[in-house]
Amino acid sequence: MANISIQNVYKNYGSLNVLKEFSLEIEDGEFVVLVGPSGCGKSTMLKILAGLEPASGGRIFIGGREMTDLAPGDRDIAMVFQNYALYPHLTVAENIGFGLKMRKVAKKEIATRIKDAAKILAIENLLQRRPKELSGGQRQRVALGRAIVREPQAFLMDEPLSNLDAKLRVHMRAEISALHQRLGVTTIYVTHDQIEAMTMADRVVIMKDGVIQQIADPDTLFRKPANLFVAGFMGSPGMNFVSARQVDGKAEVELLGQAVPVDADPGKLSGAASSKGLIAGIRPEYIKLGDGPLRFEVKPTLVESLGSEQYVYFSADEHAVPAEFRADDENRKGLIARVQNAAHLGVGEAVTLSLDPARIHLFDAASGKALN
Amino acid sequence: MKRTRLQSLILYGVVVLTCAFLLFPVYWLIVTALSTSAELSRLPPSFWPEAPQWGTFAKVFAERPIPLWLLNSTLAALGSVSLSMVVSVLAGYSLSRFSVRGGHSLGLFILTAKMLPATLLVIPLFGIFRQVGLIGSLWSLVIAHATLIIPFTTWMLKGYFDTIPRELEQSAMVDGCSPLSAMVRVILPISTPGLAATALYAFVLSWSDYAYARTFLTNQQGSWTANLGITTMKGEYVTDWNEVSAAAIFIAVPIIVIYLFLERYLVGGLTAGAEK
Ligand SMILES: Nc1ncnc2c1ncn2[C@@H]1O[C@H](COP(=O)(O)OP(=O)(O)OP(=O)(O)O)[C@@H](O)[C@H]1O
Ligand SMILES: [Mg+2]
Repeated sequence: MANISIQNVYKNYGSLNVLKEFSLEIEDGEFVVLVGPSGCGKSTMLKILAGLEPASGGRIFIGGREMTDLAPGDRDIAMVFQNYALYPHLTVAENIGFGLKMRKVAKKEIATRIKDAAKILAIENLLQRRPKELSGGQRQRVALGRAIVREPQAFLMDEPLSNLDAKLRVHMRAEISALHQRLGVTTIYVTHDQIEAMTMADRVVIMKDGVIQQIADPDTLFRKPANLFVAGFMGSPGMNFVSARQVDGKAEVELLGQAVPVDADPGKLSGAASSKGLIAGIRPEYIKLGDGPLRFEVKPTLVESLGSEQYVYFSADEHAVPAEFRADDENRKGLIARVQNAAHLGVGEAVTLSLDPARIHLFDAASGKALN
Repeated sequence: MKRTRLQSLILYGVVVLTCAFLLFPVYWLIVTALSTSAELSRLPPSFWPEAPQWGTFAKVFAERPIPLWLLNSTLAALGSVSLSMVVSVLAGYSLSRFSVRGGHSLGLFILTAKMLPATLLVIPLFGIFRQVGLIGSLWSLVIAHATLIIPFTTWMLKGYFDTIPRELEQSAMVDGCSPLSAMVRVILPISTPGLAATALYAFVLSWSDYAYARTFLTNQQGSWTANLGITTMKGEYVTDWNEVSAAAIFIAVPIIVIYLFLERYLVGGLTAGAEK
């Protein structure tokens, strides 16, 4: 087990900058999730950590030892791949023991360690099978077994659950978390599923185009997104964005005919370039049914029921939602509220919604940075 | 989708016709071997000899050094296949996995060697082999066949390696393998179907050669390969086609046996289970 230090790592493929100045300090035993849209460089970062791709620059330390130029096998890390990459010609036991065999561990010890790992993952009865005779979930466990049997300094996992069906994914998610609790091995986990990120991580690293957008624990990420990208990426459905403006050094947003003042950090607000203006962000879950500090009557354009809750779409004033955040669908063009499924809500039937103005986020439209 | 009776009937009809079409030469070879010379020159030809002449096989076997010919063909084929496989496994794997500057053009360049006709290549090869004293030796065939085989097998193997997910080697390297040992311990074992198919293809290429053997070995009876040997059975004035056919059957049998033996490898499926 070890801490990991990634210092100013960058990576170019020809003229394509896939990673730009990536720096991250990971504590011993921490579970860090890298999350971001497809192509943002998550897998690349993991491969650089594993030594499977050389970095174009920067340094990497694991447990205080410099790894930058070491071969993958000398880094004492284990990796779980999205497609599991089990060796098809070997049995489950041989698959799990392969890394130990390559490291010349004594046969007897390999056998006991395979057994221990198999016990932890409840795959003892599968040891003599070949990968093709296993279900997806079982293969996933074997891939995990191959990682834990080595007792490495760190686990690197690249979207290990994305090939499983929804139900199994939830189950394995919990199992990997439990495994981490039990073994305490430093883990870097890549996903583009924000629920995995929120539920499993000690800290989440949000990336976009090879640049870290924010590093924070899941709660902070949700409550205090550092910029527009993070605000829009985390949460489902995504945050509502509405144009806001600055009046006499105070921020204010026009919401369905009401001018609502928004709290903002005065220093940041005065620093914000006024050219592109401000953008207010409202999480759909902060809009409630019924009366509240700020109330308005709306006529839903669309109501989606998810059983326990409902997504209520309603139109905002023309141009209230900046074009880049507006959905194409006519009925979803406005704002959305995520409310408890308390009553029947009909399309076009007036309903009262309310909002606590203190919960409105504020961003600088030009830089995207949060202002409160 | 379920087939109707008529569709099945047509399907089977086409299969039977195709098989008949493909197997007719083989059947005719057998008929020829079992007929007498007199029967063969008769018109119209009969589709089965009146009294099958099994003795022709014994006669050919006694009069001609068939085992020696087969041995020479086998040695030349094994030699050229081994040489070609070693070279083309390494070359195909490199072309598949490592992006070297100009690697793609290099790969295509290898193929152009195949566009030149063998009869053109045979002349410079003859010159080279004479200088190094290989004319009349089976080694000349081993090397000459390898030059024919390697371009093909390199591309066949590159194609096969391309289908194997890279994560397998990456996983092996994280597990402590060097790039070479990852290839030897993981990639080659799961490539057996591809390797077997490629080797078999190479074997047939070498086995069926006549032009090179004829050019390099004609003056050295002890090195004659089967194909070269058979053509020497053609007399100047008369040719005993029944004897030639019997010899041809002796020579075809080993290839058929090898096919039967390798069939289970050729029908792949070993990589199933690597992913997902
Ligand atoms: N070998 C390569 N050569 C050139 N470009 C590459 C190579 N590998 C990756 N890239 C590019 O680098 C970028 C980042 O790729 P990467 O695989 O790290 O994305 P990712 O964040 O893991 O995405 P995903 O969620 O789809 O897995 C992509 O734009 C990709 O096209
Ligand atoms: Mg990826």
